[in-house]
Amino acid sequence: MRPNWCGCDGHGNEASRKPLEKPARPATTEAYAGAKFTRRQALMGAALASVGWMARSATALADVAIMPGQQETQGDVLVVVFMRGGADGLSMVVPYAEDAYHRHRQTLGVAAPNDRRARANNRALDLDGFFGLHPALAPLRPLYGEGLLGFAHAVGSGDHTRSHFEAMSAMERGLATESTGTGSGWLARHLDNSPRNNASPLRAVAFSNVMPDSLRGATDATALNSLADFRLSLPNTSEATHIPGSRANRVEAMHHTLTQLYEDGQDAVAHAGRETLAVLDALNKLDPTHYRPANGAVYPNSELGTGLRQVACLLKGHVGLEIACLDHRGPYLWDTHVAQNNILPAQLEDIGKSLAAFAGDMGKDMKGVTVVVMTEFGRRLQENTGLGTDHGRASVMMLMGQGVIGGKVLARWPGLEDHQLEGPGDLRVTMDYRDVLAEVLTRRVNTDYSHNGRLAAVFPNYQPHFPGVTKT
Amino acid sequence: MKLIRRDCLRLGAAAGAGTLLSGCSRVIHRYTPPTLAKSIALPAGVTEPTVRLINRLSFGPIPGEVERVASMGAAHYIEEQLNPDETEELSLTLRLRGIDAFHEDAIDMRDVREKEVLRQLQQAGLLHAVYSRHQLRERLVDFWGNHFNIYARKGNGVYFKPNDEMNVIRKHALGTFPDLLRASAHSPAMLGYLDNQVNQRGVANENYARELMELHTLGVHGGYTQKDVQEVARCLTGWTIEDRFLHRKGTFRFDESHHDNGTKTVLGVTIPAGGGQQDGEKVLDILAKHPSTAHFIARKLCRYFLGNGDSPWTQKLAEIYLKTNGDIRSMLRPLFLSPEFLNAPPIMKRPLDFMVSALRALNADTDANTALQEHLAHMGQPLYQWPMPDGYPDRTTAWTGSLLARWNFAFALTTGSIKGTTVDLPALMKAAHATTGIEYGDALFALILGEHTETAALQPLRNKLHDHLAQIPPSNGKNNPIMAEVAALLLSCPQFQWR
Repeated sequence: MRPNWCGCDGHGNEASRKPLEKPARPATTEAYAGAKFTRRQALMGAALASVGWMARSATALADVAIMPGQQETQGDVLVVVFMRGGADGLSMVVPYAEDAYHRHRQTLGVAAPNDRRARANNRALDLDGFFGLHPALAPLRPLYGEGLLGFAHAVGSGDHTRSHFEAMSAMERGLATESTGTGSGWLARHLDNSPRNNASPLRAVAFSNVMPDSLRGATDATALNSLADFRLSLPNTSEATHIPGSRANRVEAMHHTLTQLYEDGQDAVAHAGRETLAVLDALNKLDPTHYRPANGAVYPNSELGTGLRQVACLLKGHVGLEIACLDHRGPYLWDTHVAQNNILPAQLEDIGKSLAAFAGDMGKDMKGVTVVVMTEFGRRLQENTGLGTDHGRASVMMLMGQGVIGGKVLARWPGLEDHQLEGPGDLRVTMDYRDVLAEVLTRRVNTDYSHNGRLAAVFPNYQPHFPGVTKT
Repeated sequence: MKLIRRDCLRLGAAAGAGTLLSGCSRVIHRYTPPTLAKSIALPAGVTEPTVRLINRLSFGPIPGEVERVASMGAAHYIEEQLNPDETEELSLTLRLRGIDAFHEDAIDMRDVREKEVLRQLQQAGLLHAVYSRHQLRERLVDFWGNHFNIYARKGNGVYFKPNDEMNVIRKHALGTFPDLLRASAHSPAMLGYLDNQVNQRGVANENYARELMELHTLGVHGGYTQKDVQEVARCLTGWTIEDRFLHRKGTFRFDESHHDNGTKTVLGVTIPAGGGQQDGEKVLDILAKHPSTAHFIARKLCRYFLGNGDSPWTQKLAEIYLKTNGDIRSMLRPLFLSPEFLNAPPIMKRPLDFMVSALRALNADTDANTALQEHLAHMGQPLYQWPMPDGYPDRTTAWTGSLLARWNFAFALTTGSIKGTTVDLPALMKAAHATTGIEYGDALFALILGEHTETAALQPLRNKLHDHLAQIPPSNGKNNPIMAEVAALLLSCPQFQWR
């Protein structure tokens, strides 16, 4: 039998302690009155009409008037990128001013910005006189300069196993370690504790085949590999081909009939069906395959680039997206046990270009978006004989958006001398990753957390201390 | 002669292929389609109360079921369902034979990959729900399986869950709650899932102790304190899973050496020192007899079967619980016979309910294998994979986000696009004596919604589908794509999402 790594002893606090809710009574309920839906639809339609790449096809929608001031004020949309495999924070945001860094990383180290002995393409890009950015992350340097991008360094969890699964499991469930607490994901609990009257099936989207653990337990989350997945799928069987009309026409006919079947019911299902059909319509009109990024942004043709491109497409389409989850595995994975210098530049280039393209594409719309980039752990300071690095402890988190305190590397820097390291020689964790996430949620995503006490359900048994990574 | 030889060869080939594909599911799939009743017509007149009764007691009617129940009478049907006998549908028994996970003890499965055991586990669960004639018991398997939820992907849970499903949940589904509770407390699946297997004297692990009271018996406001949680945890120290050399691994074990043998006080009752395993057994007794447990279980049953835990029936069932020592049958019988049972507002089908009711309505022939399981996962309810100990939610709002997956399942089902699952619409139409487009429509309405199309409540729906119905050409005995689409639309309509 395999070892118990997947554990979740599941206290189920959030789910089980809730007062029992009465199920909706379809015959009598007024909770889903048509008026609200109509307004939402109108807003959606108006918003769609304003999207540039589809302006021509949306002339009918352009007639729908938007009612200024009626749009609900909501927090930032949260985009979470998880670098799977343990990204080497010490190579991403390099403490080049530390002698110990260069002593332990004689082959793999990134040189100081002013180190003339090193090749120009292996010199860090200075950030603050102490830390420098890996040269392969150059696309991010301007964002840092504009204050759109910030870093939190020496961040990690309480997991000491240095196991990918244990550490990821802890982080995605918002816990100190793998073996404690609830089985649901931190984002699932956040959604559960942030009712927003948002019945959109695209409220939380994981661009993945499987639901990540961070969204586990969220019944209103959708996992889809691409937006093209969210569609009525009429099987193309040999029998079906005998039906007159093209497949596209048949899908349209089915869509039309479903719209009729769902048009006048007042029950919760009828309401949700209309929402679903509206989102199908919206995605159809968004036409994600023909989406053209704004401001000349060019996304890499990678998993992350494609994913972020779709996030931008959804955000501009105003389809009710609140949470987007993306995995970054990159071309080689982050688990750089060997030949790190051959692997890492490609990894960093992909993530740097993807994030920069997203920021460029979103432009002014970055105002309502916060991006968090995290990894399960960092890597050992001392490079190994395979010219790689082994599993370590603390790493770096990236934060992007107009609401983050950019242009700054925030850290309670523990130092890299032997006595300052942790365990077998790892960067010490001096900031709990939940401090960063809790602050982002409270200050940027759902300000109600500051007074309603429900953040405790998102991060159970933990009292976060906001490190100051965001603007209030 | 020639013909016979060819038949023999074909059988042999099929059997050979079946054996290769672990078990003989192929052969079964081919030679034991579910039987179709001789008459599948609806009884004359208003069928609504009968259909409602079937929908609320079972996963939904199979063709012919409405007439069967109407002619035997509601009271007889309820009694039949409350008293399952040893017989079972051949289509179920044969399909289950190829599933190793239910024939072996946990330890014997250790060389089989977790994913494969999980596949078999889900397959067996789905097959029971779709084909068992003891439908009420299967509904209660769903109910108790969620009440005593096990997340099969934690630790070794998947290897223990088949035994839990057979010998805890299904065995006691219609028995008494105290027996069910005791069986669950001794079940390796539960001991592993809620960490009691590592609950040892010193610093006791409170996980199972807490959920035992909060979710399994008393309810969160049932009158216990944090101190009670700690004391119950102490009573249960040493309850673990056997893993010693030369012992029957994967079974319940009481490990005296890890048991806290001091005096404990649980809910005001003193449990004297030196009780050993009896400490835990006493706790289970105290909890099973507690009025809060009676109320908590009664309320949950009312939520499940009435859609309303605040009904006066909660109090009535709690009283019956206390009078009969938690006899589940005695609680359910008067509820099912009451007018409130039929008149309560509709309850939304969870994905499992929806899928199984669709398969039953169209008499589907399914192997319940990966393709079908994936559809259920897309709808949000992969079996045995709810991580939290409270079971899949029964709130309507939890499930309204997955309608698109339901629609896509409906279209895939009726067009024969799910591997290992087929519906024979022409055979159904033939059995319903339907030969024209409109008659097909009427027959599909009857099969899926259980009512005559003349019924007033269905007229708007029928009008909406009229365009599709009119397109259906007269019968040629073959599968008709428009017929398939109308069937899918009926499965997709709001009405079919409620029971």
